[in-house]
Amino acid sequence: MKTLNDRYHYGLELFLLSIDEGITGYRDDSLETVKRNQRQYDIPLKILSYDELYGWTMDAIVAQVGKKNNCTFCGVFRRQALDRGAAILNVDHIVTGHNADDIAETVLMNIMRGDIARLGRCTSICTQGEDTIKRSKPFKYAYEKEIVMYAYFKKLDYFSTECIYSPDAYRGHARAFLKDLEAARPSAIIDIIHSGEAFEVKEDIKATQKAQQVCKRCGYMSSNELCKACTLLEGLERGMANAAITDRARKKLDADGPVPDNLRTIPFFYMPPGLRSSSYIPVEAPP
Amino acid sequence: MSCGNPTDAEAVMQRRPKHDKTKICVRCKVARGNLVIRHAVYCKDCFFPLVTHRFRRALEPSVNSKPDGPRRTALKPSGNLLLGYSGGLGSAVLLDLVHRCYIAFDRSTMQTDGGRDHPRHERVWKKVTVCYVEVCDAFPGMKDRSAEIAEIVARYEDFEFISLRIQDAFNRTWWEKVGGIPISSYLGVSLAKEDLVLTSHSSPSTPLESLHTYLSSLPTPTAVSSSIQTLTRLLLLHTALQTASSHLLLGTSLTSLAISLISGISQGAGFNVREEIQEEWAPDGTEENSARPRGKRRVRIVRPLRDVGAKECAAWLWWRGLSVVGLDRRHASGASLGIGELTKDFITGLEKDYPSTVSTIVRTCGKLAPKGDVAGLCVLCERPAQAGVQLWKARTAIREPVFQDTPDRGEPDAPLNSPPSLAPHLCYACHATLTSRRGTSRVEQPSVPLPVWTSVSPILEMEYARGKGTALPPPGMARMAEQEMKAVVQEFLLDDE
Repeated sequence: MKTLNDRYHYGLELFLLSIDEGITGYRDDSLETVKRNQRQYDIPLKILSYDELYGWTMDAIVAQVGKKNNCTFCGVFRRQALDRGAAILNVDHIVTGHNADDIAETVLMNIMRGDIARLGRCTSICTQGEDTIKRSKPFKYAYEKEIVMYAYFKKLDYFSTECIYSPDAYRGHARAFLKDLEAARPSAIIDIIHSGEAFEVKEDIKATQKAQQVCKRCGYMSSNELCKACTLLEGLERGMANAAITDRARKKLDADGPVPDNLRTIPFFYMPPGLRSSSYIPVEAPP
Repeated sequence: MSCGNPTDAEAVMQRRPKHDKTKICVRCKVARGNLVIRHAVYCKDCFFPLVTHRFRRALEPSVNSKPDGPRRTALKPSGNLLLGYSGGLGSAVLLDLVHRCYIAFDRSTMQTDGGRDHPRHERVWKKVTVCYVEVCDAFPGMKDRSAEIAEIVARYEDFEFISLRIQDAFNRTWWEKVGGIPISSYLGVSLAKEDLVLTSHSSPSTPLESLHTYLSSLPTPTAVSSSIQTLTRLLLLHTALQTASSHLLLGTSLTSLAISLISGISQGAGFNVREEIQEEWAPDGTEENSARPRGKRRVRIVRPLRDVGAKECAAWLWWRGLSVVGLDRRHASGASLGIGELTKDFITGLEKDYPSTVSTIVRTCGKLAPKGDVAGLCVLCERPAQAGVQLWKARTAIREPVFQDTPDRGEPDAPLNSPPSLAPHLCYACHATLTSRRGTSRVEQPSVPLPVWTSVSPILEMEYARGKGTALPPPGMARMAEQEMKAVVQEFLLDDE
């Protein structure tokens, strides 16, 4: 982005935004790389941590929930953290480094867990919701291998280590499966992306999906009264971490009584002025 | 630890309990359960009505010409019935269920209300034919099982039996026997480049030789497996037309359906997810010269076991004392695994720890519809092909330009002097089957024979006639010399240091 912005005078004001999940031995090391990148590219850097946003680090979450469902917490918290970090920086566009392998994995995961809403939009290069900042994945069609080769030959300073908590069984299975598919036929990754672009959710199913609303506690977009992050955080704070993961645990949490007054909550989310769009806009891939 | 097992108990997923609450059957609430189906316990007596109910619920709304909701009226199909039988688990259960429900009228498979003359006791299909496609000739060392299969089918009264061989897909005699348009000239294809130049295949070899040439020219084991599936499907469909069948039933279980859906999506067949679940097929529009009876040229493919998992199928066979003939192809062929086999291993492995995943996959895919315009039928698999496939490929990958697209496919105009090409007339998945490689090069055949139905495809005949001229790129898209190309991308090239 830096090279293209300079070479073609895009006129973009670039910022680096990094989320610190609080994983000792993984994120603390990678943040050192990020800080070097800041100096190398001379771009302002904002590091936003789970600890300052949610009051919990992933190390603390794993200590409470174990290694079984921790990716659920991390994924939900990171998505919000990126939007909140972008709002703090007052930017109007977030660009992430998701590659073709990531997209193909997401297509498979969304089918296997029945997440119709995300399945319908996960292959769009650009997405923008009414209450979220525009996001793009410019490496959507670039294989992980190609990106690694580019970084290697260009001698880029990058960090490449698997998260120490990543052996979450379900996603781990899907990732290993995708690697097997790629070994059997390298085009499998782009073929899955093509499949993801070639179908859509039926109109009658779309009509039954919950309307987007705003979380009554933190102001972030949500399909329920409480957003997923607030539900997860409430479960953590009240010592019932599975509350947002299973229906049974959620009922148990509700039966446990009303929300305590002193419950820690996520700061209220305000969209930067001038960034609100009129509706959800999935920007399509090439036809 | 030498075995590599993690010592930390938390690092491994805890096994979920096999059943949720009780060991008593959830249906009759009296007997002790014999089988756990997705966390619910059933006794043997309740198991049979459960499977029969799911079978009827999946099939009967599709029997009448106009599909509707749960049936309340008489079943009146517009033709006969063809059963696809492979000798495997699902198709063995299918054969048994169809015979019990619609031929033998086994009272245990019916509702108890209504008298002896109730319409449900009338025969639904006048003629029921079982069709088996023997694939042993595609895999060296595989045993021919057609005699065993014939013996099994003969145990059921009132089933007619047709046995085909996979090489019939290249057999002119079979094609004309099933009422196909007579073949005037054979078409072949060169698999050397992605545009898949059409050739005239003037001296047809035997069907078996053609099959071997076709399969050995395919670039990956995935392509071999998926081609055999496609050939088998088309052999069954054309046989359905020959037998004036309005319905083709396949014994695809819930597990097999989840496997074929994920496998298809992994091979780029996302546009055909709907057809993978239920399909309405008619041969490519213009069959005016066909010997087939008019008005009976549509076949509905139904998978009535789509709500019954492989485990339930196995229990059905075990308790009914039935046997399975089919054998896993990979053991016979010894070939490396393709996407289909990898998906099968993945889904069956996942089903053990997450029994609901298979059903979630099928339910999720049932909520999907194809996106974008249809550009006719793919000439190879005869399923709807998405418009603009070649343009999509050209935009998303660094590859040779394909010039031969036609306006019908949602692509740019084809120049008159470009070579005849198969690529624009294929769906994405079939194009990937013929072109997607794994690095190792194969011996390129100058001309690979195509299945018989492609040789009579009017659109391919037109394409072949159009492209007999010299191959030249269209105006404004002249091929560039290597140095010219290098000059264009110079500023993006990496340093050699």
